[in-house]
Amino acid sequence: MKLETVGKNIIRVDGLAKVTGKATYPQDLYMDNMLYGKTLRSTKPHANIKVDTKKAEKIPGVIKILTYRDVPYNHHGVLFKDHEVFCAKKVRSIGDPIAFVVATCEKTATKALEEIEVEYEELEAVFDPIKAMDEKAPKVHDKSNIIYKYQLRRGDIEEGFKQCDVIVEEEYKTSMVDHAFLQPEAGIAYLENDTVVVCVSTQYPHFDQLEIAEALKIPLDKVKVINPAVGGAFGGREDITMQIHLALATRLIGRPVKAIYTRQESFVAHSKRHPMIMRYKTGANRAGRLIAMEATIVGDTGAYASWAINILRKSGVHATGPYEIPNVKVDSYAVYTNNPFAGAMRGFGATQVPIAHEQQMDILAERLNIDPIRFRLENCFKKGSTTATGQILEESIPLERTIKEVEKQMKKSVVGGV
Amino acid sequence: MKKIALNINGEEYVVDINEDMRLIDLLRDKLHFTGTKEGCGEGECGACTVIMDGETVNSCMVLAFQAEGREIITIEGVGNGEALHPIQKAFLEEGAVQCGFCIPGMVLSAKALLDKKPAPTRNEIREGISGNLCRCTGYNKIVDAIDKASKYLKEEGETK
Repeated sequence: MKLETVGKNIIRVDGLAKVTGKATYPQDLYMDNMLYGKTLRSTKPHANIKVDTKKAEKIPGVIKILTYRDVPYNHHGVLFKDHEVFCAKKVRSIGDPIAFVVATCEKTATKALEEIEVEYEELEAVFDPIKAMDEKAPKVHDKSNIIYKYQLRRGDIEEGFKQCDVIVEEEYKTSMVDHAFLQPEAGIAYLENDTVVVCVSTQYPHFDQLEIAEALKIPLDKVKVINPAVGGAFGGREDITMQIHLALATRLIGRPVKAIYTRQESFVAHSKRHPMIMRYKTGANRAGRLIAMEATIVGDTGAYASWAINILRKSGVHATGPYEIPNVKVDSYAVYTNNPFAGAMRGFGATQVPIAHEQQMDILAERLNIDPIRFRLENCFKKGSTTATGQILEESIPLERTIKEVEKQMKKSVVGGV
Repeated sequence: MKKIALNINGEEYVVDINEDMRLIDLLRDKLHFTGTKEGCGEGECGACTVIMDGETVNSCMVLAFQAEGREIITIEGVGNGEALHPIQKAFLEEGAVQCGFCIPGMVLSAKALLDKKPAPTRNEIREGISGNLCRCTGYNKIVDAIDKASKYLKEEGETK
């Protein structure tokens, strides 16, 4: 087979538009007769709400203020429909959308946000995912806060720990991280005959189309999603933010509607990386072989599930790290709290667990008085290894080579800079 | 309302502005130089970088009236029509472009640097783009591109 691109330097197709400033991101779109939308968001993490838009509606230049009453089907979400397009009775985290003001200019829309009266009746909130797992904890949705449990078992965990000469037990925590893609969310929606067109930077246009159609209760072929240039995403554009608000506004008003989030609003509007609490117990014998590992991983998905199930499953699958361990027990949980919601972010659950399993490796190596690199080489996956999930690795596993190369580079004296 | 005159990319403009209008709003919303990007609105990210009288500024931190009588260069003013500027050419060749949102600002910071210092060291290049964030974390290739652009400009100077 003749390869035309593999192994060659190819100029990316959108490169020219991007170096000349001609690439079009949604904020770069302007239309005749267009209106501007601004979102009113919750300032409380858990509260019953009553919303009064009457005063704001009277401001000259305000065309319409959308609330839950305007949404035919007020739900969306990638795995569970646990987000509301606009909160109806209750807010579950700071930043939850409550209303969408459409006005002739941005300034008027911003002014109108201040005139919307929201009465908050604060509810007890839960921010610690371990506490949230307790049956008596405040319920974020009207059911258990534990939305997912993944279990992985290999060998005999109790027997395994009996064979260990050294056992290390530690708890590790990772923090919430924002993608902070450089282009804040922006979009414009308009009508093309009876079709609603939404231009928005997204990682998931076909699913956005489905969620817009469901929320508006219109056929799928009456919704068109156009994805212009995307200014970074890293997982943070996999959930709906402004898509349904814009589609609904243009459908009800009949004019193009544009919205651009500020950086601050962007932070509260999209998902985060799941903070995780990871309790690890890892044991090895004097010869430097890993024998048993037990881990409990709790992922804080905040007020909405987003991709929590897939992410905590992935954390569980990757909990051993790239090491062969004959006896393994892993339980991983995804838990609702009133924190900002967590979802996809580069690595999708595989990024957090190395914080735990690699520090366990270092501590074990120190206790066993073995060089940490030798200890890793002794235990790492090789061709023919079996993972904790039972997969036999038959293809390329260049980990040994990688570790040796890293060791070589570490030994060279390196001065900072690129 | 206020009327101001300024030069953008070599052309004279006389425009009506509001007193509280930022330079970025004048460029984007009024004159549709949309190559200038807004990433943070508070002078942190550098996506809105333009060159004003030879110095880079964050156009979100400059009010439009402050640009009166000044010479502004935006990304639309880099290169001449069809031909790419050597900086743009080098960015393309080195694969320094990913999502692209930081690129106009990066190119302008690179231009301001190379206009003053045609052969910067890699550390000087890093300093030159220290006001521009790239969240795709493509800094190494951007530094490579500016280094290459510096060589292109030198060759261009020698042939002239």
